[in-house]
Amino acid sequence: MVLRFVARDRDRATQDRHPMYSRRQLGKLAFAALPVARVFGQATFRPTAIAGIPFGVETFSYHDLPSAGDARLIPTLIEDMKASGIAECEIMSGHVEPMGSYATGWWVATRRAPGYAKMRDEARRWRLAVPLDYYRAVRKQFDNAGLRMHLYNVNFNETFTDEERDRTFEAAKVLGVEGFSSSTVLSEAKRLVPFVKRHKMYVAMHNHNNLADPDQFATPASFEAALAMSEYLKATLDIGHYVAGNNDPVAFIEKHHGRIVNIHIRDRKRNNGRNMPFGQGDTPIKDVLRLIRDQRYPIRCYIEYEYGSFRSSTEEVKRCVDYCREALA
Amino acid sequence: MRWCFLLAIVGSCAGALLAQTAPVQVKNAKRDAGGVPAPTAELERGRTVYVLSSCHFCHGIDLTGAAMGAADLMHLPLVGRDEGGNLIGPIVRKGLPNLQTAMPQYSDYTDQQISDVAAYIHYLRQQGRYRELIAAGDGGAGDAAAGREYFNGAAKCGGCHSVDSDLKRIGTKYDDARLRARLLRPGPDNVVAGNGADAGRVAHLKLLERYSDADVRNLLAFLKSPAR
Repeated sequence: MVLRFVARDRDRATQDRHPMYSRRQLGKLAFAALPVARVFGQATFRPTAIAGIPFGVETFSYHDLPSAGDARLIPTLIEDMKASGIAECEIMSGHVEPMGSYATGWWVATRRAPGYAKMRDEARRWRLAVPLDYYRAVRKQFDNAGLRMHLYNVNFNETFTDEERDRTFEAAKVLGVEGFSSSTVLSEAKRLVPFVKRHKMYVAMHNHNNLADPDQFATPASFEAALAMSEYLKATLDIGHYVAGNNDPVAFIEKHHGRIVNIHIRDRKRNNGRNMPFGQGDTPIKDVLRLIRDQRYPIRCYIEYEYGSFRSSTEEVKRCVDYCREALA
Repeated sequence: MRWCFLLAIVGSCAGALLAQTAPVQVKNAKRDAGGVPAPTAELERGRTVYVLSSCHFCHGIDLTGAAMGAADLMHLPLVGRDEGGNLIGPIVRKGLPNLQTAMPQYSDYTDQQISDVAAYIHYLRQQGRYRELIAAGDGGAGDAAAGREYFNGAAKCGGCHSVDSDLKRIGTKYDDARLRARLLRPGPDNVVAGNGADAGRVAHLKLLERYSDADVRNLLAFLKSPAR
């Protein structure tokens, strides 16, 4: 039986848990995979497709997972994906690594927190020291369940060392993903160019809606600046955030469909408006999905559930999928 | 007559049992994705605003574990200074669009919604700070002189209490742990604004949101000081 935790905090775990993994912990992780393997065997991956479009989920959508570093996190995530009827995902690094994304430098505000430098250093040392078998064990759990991690969501930033960037690419290869999705900034995209070329692996830029900082991905111009740097730099267009920044996702997809790996589907209101249940915000979800279907753009569509609800994340992800299915019927 | 006596005993037992279980109801209330139902109708309205606005995804279901660069509402001084949403409300309505991960705006919220969500945030903060300050109990000795200054100054304890009258023997009446608990939250464990809290207890709940660990240590040192 997979235990569920209501406390969702992925990041807090890093504050009182040493991020280094011992052999015993690696053993526990592998052991946690056993029930999945025993029940489902080496299940065959069957992609979730609606009207020919591959659908997946950004694992951020599951807000009630065990904390980062808890060996039950991946089995719970797998159960949640199966319950949602979704076979592939973009998995957050905080769901793979034991320290949570809090400790890896993306949020500038958290870099100012007391003890942060030490925590960041420990996270870096963990990444450089952990055997790649650690990532292999994670992949095995997904393989056994017939699920796939298609993208690894790592928020590259200036606190990464070059050695750490290299190691993260190696980890991604062992996880079996096709590439990265990354909430990052233009200046970091520039630093990533030699890495994506050397590893022949793409990083897809993910946008938010901060229009004040030109280094952030939030506008067509910011995306276009990165796309011009390398063929291995691509886009994960979050259509909800894009609309919250008063941009038009349909126009962006029409123009850049060849460089968009996946979209994050959420429904936000314009003018930095809130996340809404699908169909209630200003995001043209139906228009976007029908465009991708009708034009046969090779863009994967990933649910990102972030509106408020008293129901479980699994139930809400299912509702989001149902909305998309209806839109494409 | 004997039956009446028996009924009276059963009734009083049931009453006692109900009285005992009243605070526990909150703990045993059915948990949902937004946490545990709040103990009063007003606070439950606030919880509804808080959860359906997805505040909990960034600020935490119980204000612990703020994520994605969001403000730590458990310790943010602005929340401690807020009165009925007067400081929280404008931020909620305008949002924070220039944050790295922007906080959305909720410009259409009514005054009632702002008041409700602020009340719920204060409630969560009072619960959380109580737990934290109780857990900080072995944090070392305080400074009695600083405690006296805080008692008569910022905390305004002197408006209701006097160490020469109602608090005269407080330092010997309770052990350290009990005194700390009484200072932080006098009265029953489940007291919250709007649920059995008189003006004095409301003032204590407000202080509970503002105390630093050192403030509490210093106050305790002052109250236990023989030379106060």
